[in-house]
Amino acid sequence: MQEAELHDLSDDADYVASQQQGSASMMRCDSGKRSSSSEPEGAQIVYLKDNVTIHPTLFASERISGRLKLIKQGSSIFMTWIPYKGQSTNARLSEKDRNLYTIRAVPFADVKSIKRHTPALGWQYIIVVLSFGLAFPPLYFYNGGVREFLATVKQHVLLMRSAEDSNVFLVNDFQNPLQRTLSSLELPRAVSAVGVPSTPVPVGESASQQNEERTDISASIPQYNRRQRQKGHDPARDISIQVLEKFSLVTKFARETTSQLFHETNNNGFGPLERRNSNQSTLDYSHKPSDYDEDVPIQSPVEPDPLEFDKLSLVWGKPRQPPLGLEEWTSFLDSEGRVVDPKALRKRIFYGGLEHKFRKKVWALLLGYHTYESTYAEREYQKSIKKTEYETIKNQWQSISREQAKRCTKFRERKGLIEKDVVRTDRSVSFYNGDENPNVNLLRDILLTYSFYNFDLGYCQGMSDLLSPILFVMEDESESFWCFVALMERLGPNFNRDQNGMHSQLFALSKLVELLDSPLHNYFKQSDFLNYFFCFRWILIQFKRELEYEETMRLWEVLWTRHFSEHLHLYLCVAVLKRYRSKIIGEQMDFDTLLKFINELSGQIDLDATLRDAEALCICAGENGAACIPPGTPPSLPVDDGSFYNQQDYDVL
Amino acid sequence: MSYAYLFKYIIIGDTGVGKSCLLLQFTDKRFQPVHDLTIGVEFGARMITIDNKPIKLQIWDTAGQESFRSITRSYYRGAAGALLVYDITRRETFNHLASWLEDARQHANANMTIMLIGNKSDLAHRRAVTTEEGEQFAKEHGLIFMEASAKTAQNVEEAFIKTAATIYTKIQDGVFDVSNESYGIKVGYSGIPGPSGGRDGSSSQGGGCCN
Repeated sequence: MQEAELHDLSDDADYVASQQQGSASMMRCDSGKRSSSSEPEGAQIVYLKDNVTIHPTLFASERISGRLKLIKQGSSIFMTWIPYKGQSTNARLSEKDRNLYTIRAVPFADVKSIKRHTPALGWQYIIVVLSFGLAFPPLYFYNGGVREFLATVKQHVLLMRSAEDSNVFLVNDFQNPLQRTLSSLELPRAVSAVGVPSTPVPVGESASQQNEERTDISASIPQYNRRQRQKGHDPARDISIQVLEKFSLVTKFARETTSQLFHETNNNGFGPLERRNSNQSTLDYSHKPSDYDEDVPIQSPVEPDPLEFDKLSLVWGKPRQPPLGLEEWTSFLDSEGRVVDPKALRKRIFYGGLEHKFRKKVWALLLGYHTYESTYAEREYQKSIKKTEYETIKNQWQSISREQAKRCTKFRERKGLIEKDVVRTDRSVSFYNGDENPNVNLLRDILLTYSFYNFDLGYCQGMSDLLSPILFVMEDESESFWCFVALMERLGPNFNRDQNGMHSQLFALSKLVELLDSPLHNYFKQSDFLNYFFCFRWILIQFKRELEYEETMRLWEVLWTRHFSEHLHLYLCVAVLKRYRSKIIGEQMDFDTLLKFINELSGQIDLDATLRDAEALCICAGENGAACIPPGTPPSLPVDDGSFYNQQDYDVL
Repeated sequence: MSYAYLFKYIIIGDTGVGKSCLLLQFTDKRFQPVHDLTIGVEFGARMITIDNKPIKLQIWDTAGQESFRSITRSYYRGAAGALLVYDITRRETFNHLASWLEDARQHANANMTIMLIGNKSDLAHRRAVTTEEGEQFAKEHGLIFMEASAKTAQNVEEAFIKTAATIYTKIQDGVFDVSNESYGIKVGYSGIPGPSGGRDGSSSQGGGCCN
């Protein structure tokens, strides 16, 4: 859905113009919708530069060249960058990829700053950072023209050189009422203060024509300057820019979220203001670990978190929403009970989870036991069919007589193990507590039946932890069994005898940390912790032992939406590790200390905040992140069906 | 609180033999029949006194299921002592001792002190392994041996402390280079015998619970 919107550029004047000039051609052409005039009424191109190029990757063959324009319409100025079609040699990048980078008319009201780079060797480039956090990938000016670009911008908006870095130009923030005032007065030329960083802005002179407004402005200007200086003092700014260049993360972020951000800013889902609020909460949250740190003297200097800036203001996860309730749930269904827009439903659940009473219905869908297209009636029918099927499988072990069991050691062992474990599973939860609790017996029956259903995988510790909330939610033996089966289709490899599912996730995690926090990665590397075994429990049972029961259910339904990534749980691991990075590195934790520290985080993890961080990290990592995770890594479905359950007689001893 | 030495222990053995219960009995002096099964590894610590020296025991309690052994093995490194536990009422847990031992010998340092514990001695009426068999196995493999009960606390204290005393003796005999932490021993305040640690003034059998 978003893609379609992204690709639909018919309302983009500049796109239409470029279409006509033949320099760019995007995709689906609805020529009827396109106007014949090259610019909308009153629009004027005030700057145009060809061969402005984006470097999505390190490969020269994947660079994308395009045309950068500044367009003036009324008192507003917009920036566009449209890639050329078919000019580059980049066979590896699809048309779609190229279009994802397209910058459609971005008003300078939304631009926070522009960073200029003028290296002695190589091309000049700029990075444009938007006021609500998004940064576009570096734009390389193959034909020069950065100075001209900035001069043109300066003619139309307030542009101030940062006091901290002469290459950073701060642009109007039109959300500030003062700025709106300034802009409405059309005074930008007068107040542009490039090269005069900390001196008061000489507005008086030019404002003299507007005497009635003059007092207001003069009074407000110092305040404005102070604000800008605060921005300038933020040491994370430059770190971030370095990181942006280093990892091309902005590139990835921009291409994947540009459309989303613009789209959602408009539809009032999470406008810039709310984002700002959520940014604030992220800031508060980030203080917690440092409070913690005060208890223990930090012994070693900690290399700064390269993504801290990103975390604080470049990208951040959206605020969580309240759980999905009855009315809203019903609105996702048609009259016969089909989910009309599964993607929208999954997205909604991603951001807020479910009210408990709907979990029973929705988990079966999320897990894939029922399909989204099924009707009420079909689901009821499947329920009865599957109940019979379950009973048949269950009967396979129930019919084993005592005499037969004597001759079947494997069965006795498996049964004994399950019986020992179900009585050690969530007994503090009222649903499972007390002597002779029938729900404990249900856990046993379902697990034993599963070990016959998937005889190769059998039973392994941790499965009871995964089943427990499912039975608690489904409140039905057969339904719980089939939901568990669906879950194990994805998480089964966690329990392979050779632990390959776990190893592949731990490996992917190490790659993600390397990408998203290289100093932390280097610390683990030099300490020889790269096996990431300290995150074993987090991954094996999806943070169940780290969270309260209710929180576990909420996390799981969020993970099961697979909204941003199938592997959000790995980003969650990164988010937690990053949160405590300064403690881990600062105290030079050895393996045992780290393991103990991680274990003791149980009950300390703020789920909502960590989910927001994980989302931000996931977006930030983009395709680079996805590339860290080998295909088939759980909970992705296995690439080759046979391979994951191939236990055979492989003996790890 | 400061210690003269820190010893790292690891508890190993089949699932359900009572590893976590032994640890809890030792660190908290209580028996909790209903607790969650161990995933990965859990952790406990307690201070004891040997030869008037406060010694901190840092104990890693591992998951017993065979599937996890490839992970569990990474916890062997740098352990000074191991408690190898079986359940006297389940013969198979005794039968598996050899493979546990092999794992330990392979992945732990050669001088690791191993204590064999036949747990659940309170369930003598359901005994499936005799005391003599346990003794015999220990003798053959050079282990210290005790039967214990995490439920009644019988011999629990003794098992942990006797292991520590053995390690301590090895230090006195110069078996370890204590500056090398890969032996699972850390030196605290340079080994000065201080009254601060010897609360009960006992010698090699002393125990405190001031962690």
